[in-house]
Amino acid sequence: MTGEREFPSRTIMDAVQLLQNLLNGISIGSVYAIFALGYTLVFSILGIINFAHGAVFTLGAYLTYSMSVGQFGISGLLAGLQIPYQFSFSLSLLLGAVLSGAAGVLVERLAFRPLRSRGADPLLALVSSLGVALVTVNVIQYLVGSENYSFPADVYGDLPPAFMFHFGGKMVVIRTVQVIIFSVSMLILALLGYLINFTRTGKALRAVAENAATASLLGINVDRFILYTFFLSGFLGGMAGSLVGTSFGIAGPYFGVAYGLKGLAVIVMGGLGSVPGAVVGGLVIGLAEAFVPADYSAYKDAVAFAFLFAVLLVRPQGLLGRAQIQKV
Amino acid sequence: MEEFLQNYGFLLVTLVQQSLLALSLYFPLTAGQLSLAAPGFYSLGGYIAAIMATADYFAPWRDALGWAIFPLEWLIAAIASALLAFLVGIPALRLRGIYLALATIAFVEILRVLCLNLDITGGAVGIFGIPQLFESRWGYIWTFGPLLAATLFFGYRLDRSRVGRAFKAIREDELAAGAMGIDATRYKVLAFVIGAVLAGIVGAMSAPFLNTWNARQGTFDASISYLAYVLIGGGRSLWGPVLGAVLLASLPELLRPLKDARLIINGVLLVIATVYLPQGIVGALHRLKQIALSRGAAARGGDGRHP
Amino acid sequence: MGVILEARALQRNFGGLVAVDSVSFAVEEGEIFGLIGPNGAGKSTLFNLMTGLTPASGGTFTFRGETLTGMPPHRIAALGIGRTFQNIRLFKGLTALENVKIARHSRTVTGLLGGVFGSGKSRMEELSVEKKAWEILALVGLADRGTELSDNFSYGEQRRLEIGRALALDPTVLLLDEPAAGMNAAEKQTLTGFIREIRARFNLTVLLIEHHVPLVMGLCDRIAVLNFGELIAFGSPAEVQKNPAVIEAYLGAE
Repeated sequence: MTGEREFPSRTIMDAVQLLQNLLNGISIGSVYAIFALGYTLVFSILGIINFAHGAVFTLGAYLTYSMSVGQFGISGLLAGLQIPYQFSFSLSLLLGAVLSGAAGVLVERLAFRPLRSRGADPLLALVSSLGVALVTVNVIQYLVGSENYSFPADVYGDLPPAFMFHFGGKMVVIRTVQVIIFSVSMLILALLGYLINFTRTGKALRAVAENAATASLLGINVDRFILYTFFLSGFLGGMAGSLVGTSFGIAGPYFGVAYGLKGLAVIVMGGLGSVPGAVVGGLVIGLAEAFVPADYSAYKDAVAFAFLFAVLLVRPQGLLGRAQIQKV
Repeated sequence: MEEFLQNYGFLLVTLVQQSLLALSLYFPLTAGQLSLAAPGFYSLGGYIAAIMATADYFAPWRDALGWAIFPLEWLIAAIASALLAFLVGIPALRLRGIYLALATIAFVEILRVLCLNLDITGGAVGIFGIPQLFESRWGYIWTFGPLLAATLFFGYRLDRSRVGRAFKAIREDELAAGAMGIDATRYKVLAFVIGAVLAGIVGAMSAPFLNTWNARQGTFDASISYLAYVLIGGGRSLWGPVLGAVLLASLPELLRPLKDARLIINGVLLVIATVYLPQGIVGALHRLKQIALSRGAAARGGDGRHP
Repeated sequence: MGVILEARALQRNFGGLVAVDSVSFAVEEGEIFGLIGPNGAGKSTLFNLMTGLTPASGGTFTFRGETLTGMPPHRIAALGIGRTFQNIRLFKGLTALENVKIARHSRTVTGLLGGVFGSGKSRMEELSVEKKAWEILALVGLADRGTELSDNFSYGEQRRLEIGRALALDPTVLLLDEPAAGMNAAEKQTLTGFIREIRARFNLTVLLIEHHVPLVMGLCDRIAVLNFGELIAFGSPAEVQKNPAVIEAYLGAE
């Protein structure tokens, strides 16, 4: 290199921008995928959309925050409280997800089971789960107010906040949290894939998803597997919420609503009930959002819904779903 | 009386307004369509009225028409809502059940983001300082009140007409309705448009009532509220949505001392209602009446048959 | 009397499964035509193809020369083809009267505004719908229960109501899907007589899916036999009864 500062060429700048967008997109896309899988699991077993999933997402974020940072703000019942003992971030993440799984089971008990035992219209379950979501989010607000909570930069311990790479004068930033999100997501997807395809529990889950009546005749305790499904779904939702919370901060108890709705866009795109579909859908929407030009960044949120609407019009069964055969 | 109206006038008019919004969800429901699109049309109607009332472009119109600009706003809001409803409805209503609900959610979100970012809608701040039609809040009962009466009349007559029967048939069994000669898609779109036009007119009337208008008028949360009104009040008759709206919208006032907890209570009510009152309060009352009647007939020794 | 309905190589595939396999037959105007075969032979699917509820994968179906394949169900109904369903698809939450009135939809024209504001024409039309509905209810013996919810009717009464509803369409062709299911011998006799009566009174052509072979043999002018989606026999009751393929299909299926 000469003493003069070299000006990066146009193509290198574009390539770097492309790479940056790609990385951002894959990172947020993998969280969307994890979150969407929570919807997919419940849909494939019960054929309904759990509208409390967004609330579990929110709950997970707050739980992880409480366990790793534990400092509450100036409003709500627990104002000013500092939880005396903190767990490490990874432990908080895990515990937060587990507790969210338990919350998922609670949602099933309160909102879904009573309707299921009556053979009620599935759309009613949609509404009762909305009710549970409303209660959850407002209880959180009642307890800790609606202010922003963010995770301090040193929450990951010894890891630096970001990795930076230089390409001909331009910089590509990979935030540590993005690496964490991506690796955790991939790990979870791998574990989930293993669980569903190679274990007895997974086989039973698939049997129940295929035909609950038959599965029950084969001796599978359908109710118990529905419980497992809701636990898994809550686990995924809480995990996703915690990851988003660490990455972007928690902007109040309603921060999960947008994700809750976007998750719907993901599963419709991928095909309701399709596991690989949720992953593909999540990545596609994540990447699409990342590639929205900076001038139009305000419209980013609309991208997912534009996709949702378009898919519903053109191919309602989504990319990887099977066409529904109407039985007459 | 004066003081009562001063303190509670706003609330009473709001109850009427919310009843109308509940009814805008009710009409598509009579044809079996769960549409969560009402906030989108409500928002559209409000923006039309707000823009016509404040933008410089419309100043000559305002000068020429005086107070008559208000009914014109309602008319244009109705037409715009109808057009948008046809545009959105024709493709979307080929979908059933949950898919339709999701499409309408998407529609509302897209509209909301658009309104949040366009200049003509005032961006995130919205439009404020909308000129008033009446001096007091209570005065607006003279717009919302007649609209509610007209809507209830319309609904009553619709229920007893050929088109109303087509709606009911589609709600009961869309496939069988087709086999009986009913073009389901056409009537589903019609029901959807009726709901949209109503929401649009209410929006146009609400803009001066609320004085400001922004993207927060048209959110997913709002559609949940309207859904709650219809579910809790009862989705099978005209009075259900009205009852549900009056009960739930007055809750914030009644529960004023518990103000933080009222949303929690809303949520709890929603869960309880869907589990224990699937036909809503009106439906439950109807069932009680039927039980009482059949008991009476049995006591008189009849077999319950209609004479 | 000529051919009123004709199926030519009607085909219906569900993925790898062939439900209806290149079925061809012609129905004469005014006849009572029976469709029999073991369970799962594709009889109801054939009805669904004819009424547009299921799209055909191939072949055509014509009514008085007009091609019905590809037409939406409501237009086929409006052309005069009424039907009942194997599993009874009444509008459960509505009264018997409303069920029948609804079938008058394609024979009436009152629009939204006419209905709401009660124009003279719409009021007259409403009266005629009401009158016709009560007539039909009387015809099927349910006139005293018109304002009751159809869900409260007994199984047999629901079957009668469903036939009445289909008749309210003013059909030229009536498709009955297992109308005698769940009936005892006496009821079956009544039904047979009833079908003959409405055929004569309303100049109908009737297609009938039925499991009870004696009923079919006694009532139908001609019969088609399906097995595994294929038409294996077609002709008068006497001919069909002696057909070895038919005997094998039924005995083999037992």
